[in-house]
Amino acid sequence: MDRRNFLKILGITSSTAMLSSCGVDKANEKIIPYVIPPDEEVYPGKPLYVSTTCTECPANCGLQVKVNEKLYHEQRSLYPTKLEGIPNHPINRGGLCARGQAGLFRLYHPERIKRPMVRDEQGNWLIITWSEVVTRIQDELQKTRRLGKINTYLSNHTNGTISQLKNQFCQEYGFERLPDFELFSHANIKKANQLVFNKQVIPQYRIAKTDFLLSLGADILETFVSPVEHTYHFSIAKKNQHFRWYHLEPHVSLTGVQADHRIVIYPESEIIFLSYLIQTLFRESHQKRNLPFKLLRSIPTYSLEETAQQTGIYQQDLQKLVGELSKAENPLIISGGISTAHAYGLEVAVLTALLQWILGITSEVVNFINARNYENIGTFLDINNLLHRLDQNEIGVFFLSKCDPAGQLPVDWQFLEKLKKASFSIGLADCLNATVRACNMILPLSHTLESWGDAQPFDGLHSIFQPAIEPQYDSKTEGDILLSLLNNNSEFSLYYKDYLFNNLKSRFGETNTSKLLQNGFIRTAVPESELSINLNQVYQFLKNFRIPQVKRTELLVFAPSIRGYDGRSTDLVLLNEIPDPLTTISYGAWLSVSEETATRMSLKDGDEVEVRIADERTKLPVKKQKLLPENVNLVQYGVVRLLSGSYDKRSGELFWFIKDIILSKTGNHVKLPVLSGSMDENGRGILPHVNEHAHEKEGKPWYPEHEHENYRWGMAIDLESCIGCNACSAACYVENNIPIVGRKEHLLGREMSWIRIQPYVQDNESIEFVPMMCQHCDNAPCEPVCPVYAAYHNPEGLNVQVYNRCVGTRYCANNCPYKARRFNWFDHRLPEPLDKMYNPDISIRDRGIMEKCTFCIQRIRAAKDKAKDDNRLVQEGEVIPACAQTCPTKAITFGNLEDKNSKAYKLAHSEQAYRALEELGTKPAVNYLGKKREHYEA
Amino acid sequence: MKNQYRFDEKHQFLEKLENLIKDGVSSKKIITYTPYPVHEVEHILKVKASPLRFFTLIGALAGLLFGFLFTIWASLDWPIIRGGKPIVALPAFIIIAFELTVLFGGVISFIGYLLLSRLPDFSKIQNPEEYGNQFVIQIQDGETR
Amino acid sequence: MKPENMKELEYNSILEQDILDAMRKPHPIYWLALFICASFFVLGMITWVIQMLKGMGIAGINNPVGWGVYITDFVFWVGIAHSGTLISAVLFLFRAKFRNVFNRSAEAMTVFAVMTAGLFPLIHLGRSWLFYWLFPYPNQRQLWVNFQSPLVWDVFAVSTYFTISAIFWYVGMVPDLAIIRRFTSGIRKKIYSFFSLGWTGSLKQWRHYTRLYMFLAAFATPLVISVHSVVSWDFAMSIIPGWHTTIFAPYFVAGAIFSGTAMVLTLIIPMRKIFRMEKYITVDHFDKISKILLFTSLIVAYSYVVEFALAFYGGHKFEESHFLYRLLGDYRYLYWLMVLCNVILPFTLFVGKLRRNIPYLFVLSLFVNVGMWLERFVIIVSSLAKDFDPYNWGIYIPRWPEVFITLGSFGMFFTFFLIFTKVLPILSLTEIKEEAAE
Repeated sequence: MDRRNFLKILGITSSTAMLSSCGVDKANEKIIPYVIPPDEEVYPGKPLYVSTTCTECPANCGLQVKVNEKLYHEQRSLYPTKLEGIPNHPINRGGLCARGQAGLFRLYHPERIKRPMVRDEQGNWLIITWSEVVTRIQDELQKTRRLGKINTYLSNHTNGTISQLKNQFCQEYGFERLPDFELFSHANIKKANQLVFNKQVIPQYRIAKTDFLLSLGADILETFVSPVEHTYHFSIAKKNQHFRWYHLEPHVSLTGVQADHRIVIYPESEIIFLSYLIQTLFRESHQKRNLPFKLLRSIPTYSLEETAQQTGIYQQDLQKLVGELSKAENPLIISGGISTAHAYGLEVAVLTALLQWILGITSEVVNFINARNYENIGTFLDINNLLHRLDQNEIGVFFLSKCDPAGQLPVDWQFLEKLKKASFSIGLADCLNATVRACNMILPLSHTLESWGDAQPFDGLHSIFQPAIEPQYDSKTEGDILLSLLNNNSEFSLYYKDYLFNNLKSRFGETNTSKLLQNGFIRTAVPESELSINLNQVYQFLKNFRIPQVKRTELLVFAPSIRGYDGRSTDLVLLNEIPDPLTTISYGAWLSVSEETATRMSLKDGDEVEVRIADERTKLPVKKQKLLPENVNLVQYGVVRLLSGSYDKRSGELFWFIKDIILSKTGNHVKLPVLSGSMDENGRGILPHVNEHAHEKEGKPWYPEHEHENYRWGMAIDLESCIGCNACSAACYVENNIPIVGRKEHLLGREMSWIRIQPYVQDNESIEFVPMMCQHCDNAPCEPVCPVYAAYHNPEGLNVQVYNRCVGTRYCANNCPYKARRFNWFDHRLPEPLDKMYNPDISIRDRGIMEKCTFCIQRIRAAKDKAKDDNRLVQEGEVIPACAQTCPTKAITFGNLEDKNSKAYKLAHSEQAYRALEELGTKPAVNYLGKKREHYEA
Repeated sequence: MKNQYRFDEKHQFLEKLENLIKDGVSSKKIITYTPYPVHEVEHILKVKASPLRFFTLIGALAGLLFGFLFTIWASLDWPIIRGGKPIVALPAFIIIAFELTVLFGGVISFIGYLLLSRLPDFSKIQNPEEYGNQFVIQIQDGETR
Repeated sequence: MKPENMKELEYNSILEQDILDAMRKPHPIYWLALFICASFFVLGMITWVIQMLKGMGIAGINNPVGWGVYITDFVFWVGIAHSGTLISAVLFLFRAKFRNVFNRSAEAMTVFAVMTAGLFPLIHLGRSWLFYWLFPYPNQRQLWVNFQSPLVWDVFAVSTYFTISAIFWYVGMVPDLAIIRRFTSGIRKKIYSFFSLGWTGSLKQWRHYTRLYMFLAAFATPLVISVHSVVSWDFAMSIIPGWHTTIFAPYFVAGAIFSGTAMVLTLIIPMRKIFRMEKYITVDHFDKISKILLFTSLIVAYSYVVEFALAFYGGHKFEESHFLYRLLGDYRYLYWLMVLCNVILPFTLFVGKLRRNIPYLFVLSLFVNVGMWLERFVIIVSSLAKDFDPYNWGIYIPRWPEVFITLGSFGMFFTFFLIFTKVLPILSLTEIKEEAAE
């Protein structure tokens, strides 16, 4: 399809209006997109921006898709080449996590399902047409009707118009719509909120408004509910000098090391801690709301010593925590993740809700009004039910849409075998996965970026899905499939797009729908309601309070992965190329063990162990992980498949712990691609130190300073805000066509990332993350040594690498003390169709050429060109490199250091500013802002 | 007097040569052929110092000047900032100039040598004159040098 | 050398016959040796072509170690070349007569070693086919080269060194080629005639010749110092610990002469035996050469000590930790083997009897060659492996392309040298005759 027709369908909403701040595009006053934009709007070099929503995880951040016109296989067409966050979106505020940035890798995934397929009698796949699909489904439905089976519909987290359509479909066709399947169902939190507040929802945790955050287990910065939102809120919260964050966890997580005080707690002992906390607050009269005495009495009492002993927390830590909590004005307690994913998780969640209540819960910090849309999401009770029914041959036609229970459910639950017992299973997905491969029929779904739709991330927020590219294969959206079934294959009287628009208009009206299309989201009012506690239910629950027998055993903990979420994103190759921030392992599976375990079993990184859990065994190479408590062994979801699953029969919450595992060495050794050479910084000058080396003033320079005419580009990176999420690295990969090199090259250290997160262990207490990229030094050591002038300093202060001049001597890389320069050892190219995402503004480098961070010179160039057209200089905020744009905490500030009013200048000259390896005299343009809050001395 | 005298021993050869000079034969008419350089011959025949040294000097100076001038000109022609060091980086250019001094000096000396000794001599390449290990004095009729 | 009572003419004739015997039709073992060396050479070249087609990635170099075996080989071969020039030029200026039996082969070794060395900057380039961009030539882009870069200094230094050494070697050979011309016939005679330029040995030819020879020796002498200093500045001009030190120029020059002298021994001892040159190259000659070996070994040993003193006395934490890494880190076995080969074993040369024991000298020279190769490897790789930022630390293990290309370089060198022994006179006939006459 050519450009014109595509744009017709696209219904231009934003075009270049998104880039500049020139207000509403008059062309969009009508809803039906009339416009073929005049050809001046879209041409090579001038991208188009489309607002839509990210679906890499249920958080549904706002997504802005950059669409470029470019030549691909001798045809000119429009292709999405970069994803960004929508700048003023209430969830992500312009930031986008690494998984979101990797969304294009799913759009162009080589394993996209291209055509509808059905299995024949021998089990081979036959390609069929869509009308045959409808006929076949009708036939199967007739069969199941005769046999009296139940037809079921299972999908992932669904809300918005499609949910309505599904209900309609299920009603008409007699399907049972099963609760949505999400591995991270937060069942205990929902049930606890139901018990305590009569609201079976997950509230919005507004961390920005709190001055004391206590989190138990919840990985709020990684995957918990809406991680980018939490991260952004955290960056706002810590601007307040009085903000304190205590994080308790039984293992080690990215969230934990970011907290002011990370406290290790024995697994399952959280309720002892919470009980102690509640009782102490009451005893010292720090509560803001009272509880009836009999309720209070059902909460067990522990002394300080007992608590310390049972939880493993030092007494002084406990006292300090209680003290600071008491003084907090707007405390926020979040329990979740691993702390609610065990046998006593429900108790933990209930006590947390109680604790929040007595500390004076307000909708400022815990917002039940704009609650997350987790209502339809089922629990493991539902899964178990389903499996039971499958086993009993009760299930007829079974739709599985956008979910992967076969890949995610525990191995010993044998989902695949049971699935075969359904009469006719139909898998709907955009990419092949384990579930879909086992179905009888596969229907290709259009990727979100190819579809129309809408979502409701939380109550009162509605976001749109708009296509940024026409479907590349013979796929349909789920809505279209359901409508074609509903209309019985007759001349498609209704496209899902029309259905959607009718729905939107009737709900929001024309103006709002137009705004929705333009901005990507709208907010609607949600009725206020008073939060009240259901004392009776709570009391009934607490009466049967179970107190854990805290036994120390060898544990296997499954933790969410910031790269893979619950495993769904691990098939995106970019998220394997970028390492896990805590261990810096990129490809492959591994088991994290504590240093004590490694010493005890004489394990080096890469030695293989066999993990035995009852009857299940698996072999994994180990990685010694700092800060991991003894007896806790850690694997990540998606990296390792859940081996055996138990769940809480009360709420259906999955247990993330497996107890009493046995580890034994196999004697094999696996080469693990660990990208970090060492995590001990040893005061070398990368991290800020209070001692002399960090702020050494060099002697008077020999040579005069550089002169800059209008611009000197520089950066300020706030290390306090950097959480190590690697979103910047992902964005840089996509923006700059950085080669993906694979595991074998990673073993040799040849990863190509221009910006990377370097973790350093500090005082054996926490981990600091330093984003490191080319520092664009004034006195760059790389420039004088290039024999052919391929590396030189441009008049605007950038260290420039001229790709077509480079002969590849690699002297520049040798001389760079930051090792920011990356050499192309081979001609790495993305395989088709991933190469559709190449940014046309950037050349693709051949083998033998050195490359490195350019401060996104292509963006600087574009801004300067625009400024030149307007006869002015580039203003503050017009240029933003990919890394700075995507950072959820806005840790990276880029700007013109010649402009004394720019934010970058002010930060670079602030008190905490320092430069990495300053004593070498390289005079970098990248300034780091050091941590100014003291760390806890244990 | 004979035209050519051949000797097997160096001292015989030198004696004869001295005698010839004493006898008044013009040193310009005498050509000697030896298997290796014999310095005494130059004293006896009162030969001036070889002008090769001028070639060498000119070559070396040319190299030195060219080294500096070229590098300075090339750097100023397109002044590219590299690492904060000055555009005209004399310490670096000294090295180039030094190498070029040696290079030009050596090559021009060699060319000078070929010119001065009239080599390669194509007629002698076709028909080589062999004197073996003997010392030969040859008296030309006309001027030889 | 010449027996007292023998007449000069007789001595000269015997000398000439002996050299010509060496150039006669080769023994089958020669062909075998030539075949093996040429095969390695071809293998190396093929590997290089594969590397250019596929990418540098097939070799073992990586991040952070961007330079490995190829640069080691480069410095190694340039170092070997230096000793030849020392023997030819420097010893000439010092009027050390014992050099006369070594200098033709030593100069040949220099020329071939520089040729071999000159290939490595091309081999290690990511885009070897653009190597000519390293030379300043007028071009449409109006771009010159970066004269501040030590690699450009290398280009000038090595080109100059090759040119001057080749000229010096050739000039020295012209009278000898004239001698050979006398004994050949047919096509061979024409070739030797051509390359001897019609040499007759006239006064005119000799008097300018002696000046030229002296000037060339005078030019070549500073080259011995400067070229390897320039090569060492590839490292010294960098900022990383272990490389950034002022000691490199003299350290490397001494090391070059050390390794080159060892290679001279490695070549000449077998050559002497095979071509029956025992009466020309005597034990006394070897005694004197091994004193050079000992002397330079002492300088190298002293340099090792000074490097340490600089690190620890200076108290710079990066330098200190780097030197501890060299001694005790991943490459410690190579480091201590290097000390054994370069310091401890040559120390035995203080014993006069060992200096005169030719088989011992041969074995020792092999160890020194290995030791000096290891020294360059340890310096290059250990500094790159662990520099400033611990995140970037890594190690380097050479892979098959590096091994094959290194073997190829040895193959190339020995192929040329073997051909040299059969085609050109291996002793400097004229100078030996001159010395015998005194």
